[in-house]
Amino acid sequence: MINGTLYRREMKKSINMLLFFMAVLTMYMVIIIGFYDPKMMKMLDGFYAMMPGLMAAVGMKAGSTTLLGFMVSYLYGAVLIIFPMIYSILRANDLIAKYVDSGSMAVLLAAPVKRRTIVITQLSALLSGVCLLMLYTTVLELIVIGYKYPQELLVADLLRLNLGLLFLHFLIAGICFLSSCIFSQSNYSLAFGAGIPTLMYIFQMLANAGKKAKMFKYFTFFTLFDPDSIVAKEAGAFIGPIILFIGAIALYLLGGIIYCKKDMSL
Amino acid sequence: MRVIEIKNLTRDYGEGKGIFNVSFQVNKGEVFGFLGPNGAGKTTAIRHLMGFIQSKSGTCTICGLDCWKESAKIQKNLGYISGEIHFFDDMTGTEFLNFVSKYRGISNAQKQKDLLNRFELDPKGKIKKMSKGMKQKLGIVTAFMHDPEILILDEPSSGLDPLMQNRFVELIDEEKTKGKTVLLSSHIFEEVERTCDRIGIIRNGKLVTVDSAETLRQRHVRTYHLTLSTPEEAASFAKDFDGVASGVNVTITSKQKLESIFMDYYEGGQA
Repeated sequence: MINGTLYRREMKKSINMLLFFMAVLTMYMVIIIGFYDPKMMKMLDGFYAMMPGLMAAVGMKAGSTTLLGFMVSYLYGAVLIIFPMIYSILRANDLIAKYVDSGSMAVLLAAPVKRRTIVITQLSALLSGVCLLMLYTTVLELIVIGYKYPQELLVADLLRLNLGLLFLHFLIAGICFLSSCIFSQSNYSLAFGAGIPTLMYIFQMLANAGKKAKMFKYFTFFTLFDPDSIVAKEAGAFIGPIILFIGAIALYLLGGIIYCKKDMSL
Repeated sequence: MRVIEIKNLTRDYGEGKGIFNVSFQVNKGEVFGFLGPNGAGKTTAIRHLMGFIQSKSGTCTICGLDCWKESAKIQKNLGYISGEIHFFDDMTGTEFLNFVSKYRGISNAQKQKDLLNRFELDPKGKIKKMSKGMKQKLGIVTAFMHDPEILILDEPSSGLDPLMQNRFVELIDEEKTKGKTVLLSSHIFEEVERTCDRIGIIRNGKLVTVDSAETLRQRHVRTYHLTLSTPEEAASFAKDFDGVASGVNVTITSKQKLESIFMDYYEGGQA
């Protein structure tokens, strides 16, 4: 199914980037969770009162009374979306398109390894990174919350929230991966792999920002991950993330099929 | 026995580029030279054989297996040097050779060591910093280290100095005696003439001729015998004009440039 040697090489290439993003996430999460304090809440609510549009655009809302609600407002709208997204954009491009563009894909193909095995290996490496980032986020959150606000540690709720986030990142990784499989030139692969998720994210910001721009929520898949409804345990809160998950699988399959049938001028 | 077989292969890239109705085969234990100028379609044919691109019309098989569908099976026993070598720039040569061995699931450390010694290659440095010649040597080691039965070599000696080119010719000769099947592409007549049993000449995507190296040699290599006044004169003449002196006699062989060989076929075709 996968080639262990290739998988190890790719994970080794991912590790520096993953460590960097883990460090960035640690910084943000420790600081932002540290902000959680009723007094500070009032200040942030004050900001929201002053510039509701800007605050809402980055996913921050007023009146988050619980710690989880606070985290949804200040972490799940931007930090926890953007950094893993950058990881997927950069690594997905490296994993297929860059090899084809540089010609070194010939090394991988000129060996008794099926194209299917190559593409599954590269996808596994990409998704391993996404899972590691999400796992790290979860563990860090549990530790920070457990240490600072043990009375507000709602493990099951946090896990459900992060599962939804994981499915969102599976879909983002799927778009980047498909783009990497389609294009034989690294710059096109990057343009689409970065461009589509970024555009969707901007739509999401617009939809959050203003009432008139609310219709934009129908043009972005980010709408399908609604952390507020997951935390509120609304019925059907997981329909969106499940659609994201199914969409991600479809993108992986499509990317894999395209790679296996593709002519490569190596 | 036919090992490599291309039948009526056509791949039209438009504007006269591509290959058109190319057919030839390479038999077991044979070294086949695939000769043509740059852009003639040699690499396009090789990409089909390697399973990098799918044939749209015509067939490509190696050992009876379809080059596109069964490429992984074929690759088990195949060594390949690509026309433009691109390895993993982030690795050192040693790391790369280890990677390829493990990736292929082979271990033939002795053969690898022999090849490194033969081509005087120290693979410790980063591939990124290697010269064209060093990368080419690394490519040769990578292609031969698992001791494959079939070799597909696209301009394998480009970037090598004359000494290393000779060592490469020796290596091909040795592999031939071991019964290996070799397809060697080149744009230099001398190179294929020295190593190959049969030569196929390709131009503008069409196979112009397939003939034995001996026949082509007779047709395109002219020999002159000259007699000079003194043996000293003969010796210096031989030295200056790359001939062989014997007493007052000198034998000079002229080798035609590839282009003039092509022109020969062109004019022959028009007549």
